[in-house]
Amino acid sequence: MTRWHKVRTVATFEFLTAVKRPGYLIATFGMPLFVAAYGAVVAIPAYFAAQKDKAEALYGVVDRVAVLALDGDAAAPTIQIPEDVRDTLESVGQGAALAKALEDSNFVFRPFDSEATARSALVGREIQGYFVLGEDYMTTGRVDMYAPDTISLSRGDSRGAFANLVRERLANGRVEPGLAARLISPVKDPRRYSITRTGEVTDGGQAASAVRLAVPLVFIVLFLMSVLMTAGYLMQGTATEKENKVVDVLLASANPDEILSGKLLGLGGAGLLQIGVWLLMALGTAIGVVPLLLTSGIQIPWLAVALAVPLFLIAFLFFGSLILGTGSLGSNIREAQQLAMVWSLTAAVPLMLMSVLISEPHGTTAKVMTWIPFSSGSIIMLRASMDPDFLAWWEIAGSILVLIGSTWLAIKLGARLFRVGLLSSGARPSLREIIRQARLT
Amino acid sequence: MAILAFRDLVKSYGQTLALCGVTFEVQSGEIFGLLGPNGAGKSTLIRILMDIIRPDSGEVCVFGEPRRREHLDRMGYLPEERGIYTKLTVLDVMTYFGTLKGLTRAGARQRAAEWLERVELPQVSTWKVDRLSKGMSQKVQIASVLMSDPELCVLDEPTTGLDPVNVRMVQDLLLERRQRGRTTILSTHHMNQVEALCDGVALINKGRLVVYGTVDEVRRRHSLPEVRVYGSGILPPVPEISDVVDEAAGVWRLMLSDGTGPADALTALVRAGARIDRYEPMLAPMEDIFLRVVREEAA
Repeated sequence: MTRWHKVRTVATFEFLTAVKRPGYLIATFGMPLFVAAYGAVVAIPAYFAAQKDKAEALYGVVDRVAVLALDGDAAAPTIQIPEDVRDTLESVGQGAALAKALEDSNFVFRPFDSEATARSALVGREIQGYFVLGEDYMTTGRVDMYAPDTISLSRGDSRGAFANLVRERLANGRVEPGLAARLISPVKDPRRYSITRTGEVTDGGQAASAVRLAVPLVFIVLFLMSVLMTAGYLMQGTATEKENKVVDVLLASANPDEILSGKLLGLGGAGLLQIGVWLLMALGTAIGVVPLLLTSGIQIPWLAVALAVPLFLIAFLFFGSLILGTGSLGSNIREAQQLAMVWSLTAAVPLMLMSVLISEPHGTTAKVMTWIPFSSGSIIMLRASMDPDFLAWWEIAGSILVLIGSTWLAIKLGARLFRVGLLSSGARPSLREIIRQARLT
Repeated sequence: MAILAFRDLVKSYGQTLALCGVTFEVQSGEIFGLLGPNGAGKSTLIRILMDIIRPDSGEVCVFGEPRRREHLDRMGYLPEERGIYTKLTVLDVMTYFGTLKGLTRAGARQRAAEWLERVELPQVSTWKVDRLSKGMSQKVQIASVLMSDPELCVLDEPTTGLDPVNVRMVQDLLLERRQRGRTTILSTHHMNQVEALCDGVALINKGRLVVYGTVDEVRRRHSLPEVRVYGSGILPPVPEISDVVDEAAGVWRLMLSDGTGPADALTALVRAGARIDRYEPMLAPMEDIFLRVVREEAA
């Protein structure tokens, strides 16, 4: 029988020991600073590149058939940004800058009388390239583009901008203005709606889809991070105890179930605290998202949000028990990590199958994986977020029960392996020895 | 009253039989010596007692009932292969071990501070463990075990590596425990400590109990029929004495004839006119008994 005061004692000790380690403090508070510094390092050249992009990009045009009727420098028509894309970009604090970058069409096209003068301008780097509309353009549509023998990422954009200019000039005066506008921009500001299986019309825009996808994705990524980080702490702690020969003293004071549970709660708590700190810091920088989401009419998947914490904790205990039990069989920390790797990879399976699961959140794969304890937490989250109407209550309750039962078994199995692992010294025990020892109650 | 009883314990590791039907008891309030050569099965027996490993068969009773996990809170254990968390402070480690034995956190910290005073190391409480010398670390570990005042305590080679002053200090701590009615099982290879401290002993060899009883009983049982005589003049020859060795002026070691008890020999000597000031049966040292028994078993 597990004595909870022992579990609490071990958990408190492990938690306090872990959070006081310099390495932990550096990782917890240093990681966001590192990420920020990394972002800054990446952003600085990107900023200068963006500034450069804002500068006028001058291209030449040699119009042998005179369809464009350019009598001077001409800019391409502006590109419309769909409203929901704009909302999404704005919600993450990037909308204004990106939209401005897109809207500020900085391609300018200058007519040249002949290809020779255009080429001369290009050789002199007065222009960044030039387009030639041949005499057969109206029948073939062929356009030749000339550019410097260097690599430029913006040349594709220049072709698009030139195509817009050609469309505008072809339509101009030949068809009535309304039709010309539609020819230039045939699909403007598309709004998308989703029809649920119950016939309800909901927001089908990218922002709504992003929110529905983000909840389970954040869950799975954070869960994987927790499992991997805590596995590291557990391996390190157990290896230290074996190395320092504290094991006998511990086992003479508490049984393996209690030690294992205590370690899971203590080190798991330290891992979760670390993630919590990172999450808070991330939310702090994007605090504007929350009111925007709440006022935008986008449906928050509240069922998934409500299930996130309990599912996270149960699944964490499940994987943590198996990782600690298996890892303790290793004779050193590297071997321990190799042994425990199988569980970390298993936890990542829903992420690997994400494309299938997103396209069919209630398909056979998803339904089967709902009942497998290794994936049920992540799958329930995904299904509850993507399409909650078709996730039956008994599927939620049943899979949680399966997960709880499996966690109980995992703790028992993990504790037995843990005992065998702690008592073994030197070489890793054979499978036969592990089974024999584990059967001794 | 027996505070501890092993009944027919059997334990094997694969093909190796570590314990074979070990049965003995330890009385409450005594210091009990657990002896045996390396690999005899002592550590296995202790680990079974502390529920670290399980026997293949047999029973362990403590405090008058079959041992349960709950009993471990009333027991202390200093393993032979021992260590502590090297990156933590002494006080934190002792507090943790104390709370694992059921003390409150505040109580454990207070006891830890008191016990560091008792082992003359109050200055190390805030030190990291890896700063301690080997002897200091050993004393901290002994204090960690004794601070919860366990009713039954197992100390496996507690004085190894300690200087004579600290050995004496540890012995005094054990004697003080005995005065307070606490039971200590002392696993040691130092036979002088056994003679000086222990009330009872058990000697295990090759997984079997080969010697068991109080120290006096064991020494008498395994002693040769010899007496030491202090007197003056000439020692007259009597049939009850088969051999005489002069150890010093007025001191003789006498080998008794077969079937003769020390009292019979004394009576015969007095009747023969010997002038005797002091007469004492000679008890074999525990070290001799240990060596003899182990060698006989090997033969």
